[in-house]
Amino acid sequence: MRAFGNKPLVAGLAGAVLLFLYAPLLVMAFFSFNASQFTGLPFKGFTLSWYEKVLENETLMRSIGASVYVGIGTVILSMLIGLPAAIALDRYDFPGKAAFRRVVMLPIVLPGVITGVALLSFYITIGFRLSLNTIMLGQGTALTCIYVTEVFARLQQLGRSQEEAAYNLGASQIETFFKVTLPNLKSAIFGTMLIVFSISFDEIAVTYLLTGRENTLPMALWSILRREATPEINAVATLVIAFSIVLIVIGVVASRGKDLVAASKS
Amino acid sequence: MEDAATPVMTTASVAVAESTGISPGALKAKKIERARMLFWLLPPAAWFFVFMILPYCMLFYYSLGSVDYVVFKPGLSLANFVRVFTTEPYLSVMLKSAKIGIYTAILSSIIAYPLAFYLAFHASEAIKRYVYLLVIVPWWASYLVKAYAWKTILGTGGLINASLLGLGVIDHPLTLFLYNEFSVTLTLAYIFTPFAVLSIYAQLERVPTSLIEVALDQGATRMEIFRKIVLPISIPGIIAGGVITFSLGFGDFVAPALVGGADSIMISNIVINLLGAAYDWPMAAAIGLIIIALGLGLITLAHRLEHQFQVRF
Repeated sequence: MRAFGNKPLVAGLAGAVLLFLYAPLLVMAFFSFNASQFTGLPFKGFTLSWYEKVLENETLMRSIGASVYVGIGTVILSMLIGLPAAIALDRYDFPGKAAFRRVVMLPIVLPGVITGVALLSFYITIGFRLSLNTIMLGQGTALTCIYVTEVFARLQQLGRSQEEAAYNLGASQIETFFKVTLPNLKSAIFGTMLIVFSISFDEIAVTYLLTGRENTLPMALWSILRREATPEINAVATLVIAFSIVLIVIGVVASRGKDLVAASKS
Repeated sequence: MEDAATPVMTTASVAVAESTGISPGALKAKKIERARMLFWLLPPAAWFFVFMILPYCMLFYYSLGSVDYVVFKPGLSLANFVRVFTTEPYLSVMLKSAKIGIYTAILSSIIAYPLAFYLAFHASEAIKRYVYLLVIVPWWASYLVKAYAWKTILGTGGLINASLLGLGVIDHPLTLFLYNEFSVTLTLAYIFTPFAVLSIYAQLERVPTSLIEVALDQGATRMEIFRKIVLPISIPGIIAGGVITFSLGFGDFVAPALVGGADSIMISNIVINLLGAAYDWPMAAAIGLIIIALGLGLITLAHRLEHQFQVRF
């Protein structure tokens, strides 16, 4: 038997931690239905008016569109860079491999603000105008590491025998990739896409520095939070959380839930 | 794309190399292997060179210059680096950010441990999957929203004050919960706890069931099993999670701005301020480079520590 220790005590503590994780989110959701001008007690009655206000708020609605645009672009861009990088790291040895891996992984430990400052100074020097596209470039580069860890982990599990068999049967590199490697990576890629999208959708540090005239949702929320926050924020927050839950559940089911741990270990 | 034609030759040359064993064939196979490698490696390497190495080099270039009436002047001076260590508030804010980062890492590990322990040793397979999902959901829920949630809990109109007022413990709202280093640390620890859970859990999963059974058979107490088997094995997980939570806490600018006070400003807030209001790019670049160096050092140190504490079976 694996379990040791006082069962009720361990379960109780674990439950307390889960409560700690969920209480703040539930508090937000609770106040989003509160018919009061202020976030806080007392509860003055149930209302959906804060949700109506959100839907009427054009700045917020436009920022959601911008976030979706940036998110989709980031997902595609980081896949196009991350997939070959993972294959190169898994299948081949080359000089500078350790350094290459370290550069790819650097954005995980670096504060987003620093990545943002570096990219901003680069854009300004070469004369890029800041826009949603510059945000996409920044996020796409920084989030490539997620594809690299995920796809690398899957490639390690798979081994190379199938690809070698394909080569021996005369398949070209392109054919082998599309007919053998890619189908095997499908679920890992799909899970990673959703994870990258949800990070991008929530990203603020890099975005903060690279944003142009148009704002993403976190930036729009940020400017509301910095001023006087109305309970409208609770409604947006609840919607955003509900939306992330849907994405996460799909993503975790698709990639069998091992990704986050894998990402943390590399 | 230019080597799309080579694979046909690959198989041929591999076959030749295998059947005859002559070195020219093997050499050719090696060459083709190299072409395949470059096919995958070159595009991402080029990308990272342009969009990451070059920007960091830009940072270096800026850090050596100076600013004269909002105009950047290139230069070759290390004065900005000296300023980081000699002029207030840079060094002290960096140390304070590090302190908050360390507290965040420790606090989130402590909070995370019981849940990770439960997942690894007590939860049945069916429950485990659901609890695992329950841990991941708050991790990916909006970052800003999570920070803001603590404002609504700790603030003067927040839940804690309202409850205390309602219970008659206090007669006017207390301000000591919000806008200080405590609220910043608590908020950050809250945000990173799910991550610490996953990181520690991954390591606890490695504890062999047989080891615990043997220890129990030999009459070890639960405390002994925990102290001598489970805790040592979980240390690399604590370090791996701690390094990331530390880095994220160290570089955060959202929590200090939302739940922090005037004295809990952190290094990222300073960098943003230098870029915006102060318009001192060289200084921001110098701080950035120092943090990058610290980050690389931290990765290396963590790697070494993890290996040192890793228990092999």
